[in-house]
Amino acid sequence: MKKKKLEKWLLLEASGELSLRQLHRLGRELAASEEARILRQELGRLRGSILLPEVEPSPWTVARIAARLREERRPAFLFSNAWKPALALAACLMVAVGIFNFHGNPAFSSVAVAASGVDVWNDPLERDLSRLESQIAAISSDSLDIVGM
Amino acid sequence: MKTTDIERTRMDQDDAKLLAAYRAGDSEALGVLVEKYKRPLFGFILRFSEGREDADEVFQEVWVRAIKNMNRYRQKSLLSWLFRIAHNLMIDRVRRRKFVISLDTPVSEDGMSLGEQLAGTGLGPDSETGGRELGLRIEAAAARLPLEQREVFWLRMQADLSFKEIAKIQKCSINTALARMQYAVSKLRKELADEYRELQEAGI
Repeated sequence: MKKKKLEKWLLLEASGELSLRQLHRLGRELAASEEARILRQELGRLRGSILLPEVEPSPWTVARIAARLREERRPAFLFSNAWKPALALAACLMVAVGIFNFHGNPAFSSVAVAASGVDVWNDPLERDLSRLESQIAAISSDSLDIVGM
Repeated sequence: MKTTDIERTRMDQDDAKLLAAYRAGDSEALGVLVEKYKRPLFGFILRFSEGREDADEVFQEVWVRAIKNMNRYRQKSLLSWLFRIAHNLMIDRVRRRKFVISLDTPVSEDGMSLGEQLAGTGLGPDSETGGRELGLRIEAAAARLPLEQREVFWLRMQADLSFKEIAKIQKCSINTALARMQYAVSKLRKELADEYRELQEAGI
């Protein structure tokens, strides 16, 4: 077995990812080759020499995580997709009510009421506008006379 | 923390129960989960962050993201899911800052370096005698490895993840993860050749 392949298999053996057939083959290789045994020993020593950190996160970590999750849960719920069907239904209802009103009895229709309101409001405004126009016309004819003199 | 596959499978069922309990409003369940995985996860994060405070923030962020995206949790092992989130966060941070930390960099107020902090209290079972020095040398040599190789090295050696899990975390094939580990080991072997010889002669 080539060294690269042997190394790969030794690594996979240590992580428990070799099949039974591969394990048998590796066993034969180890029995036959001293180089293979030294390589295996070296990997084992490297692993055994690793310093295991015993440092821990701050004692308040769990409380902070829980607080952050509480904070983030609220807005997430408000803007979550769960609201979308309800909003769509509400929009549909509003449109349906609008259409019903528009096609319903014009006497009770809000559109008709609004239109009549506009007419009532427009009447005095139109009168004022026509009066203003006539005044402007009178002033402008006077000024023309002055220019003519 | 080193676990066998059998233990991991058993824990997975416990994790699922704890996650479900937390979702149902049991806030204690979160504490149990964090307590369970804090050592391997925090140790890993600390190796790739700017110090304890920074590592604390990343650690919290990992858990917040894990809980928020719980519906996407389809992996067998919660620890591997947590490492995956930590990996993504770390990659983002490296891209943003192009940050490279040396083990000699002081990371605490009392001037302790990251290497000293990591090595401070815990030793592997075989490293109680002459192995401590070797352990520190491994830390220093591993810190000089390229990011991806370094990550595979620590995920395998410290967190005890399988190459299949590491490949998932790094979004690569198992062969790529294995090749990265092989490069890392061969570089360390070269750098630590003298120490190995001494230990071999001493029969350690």
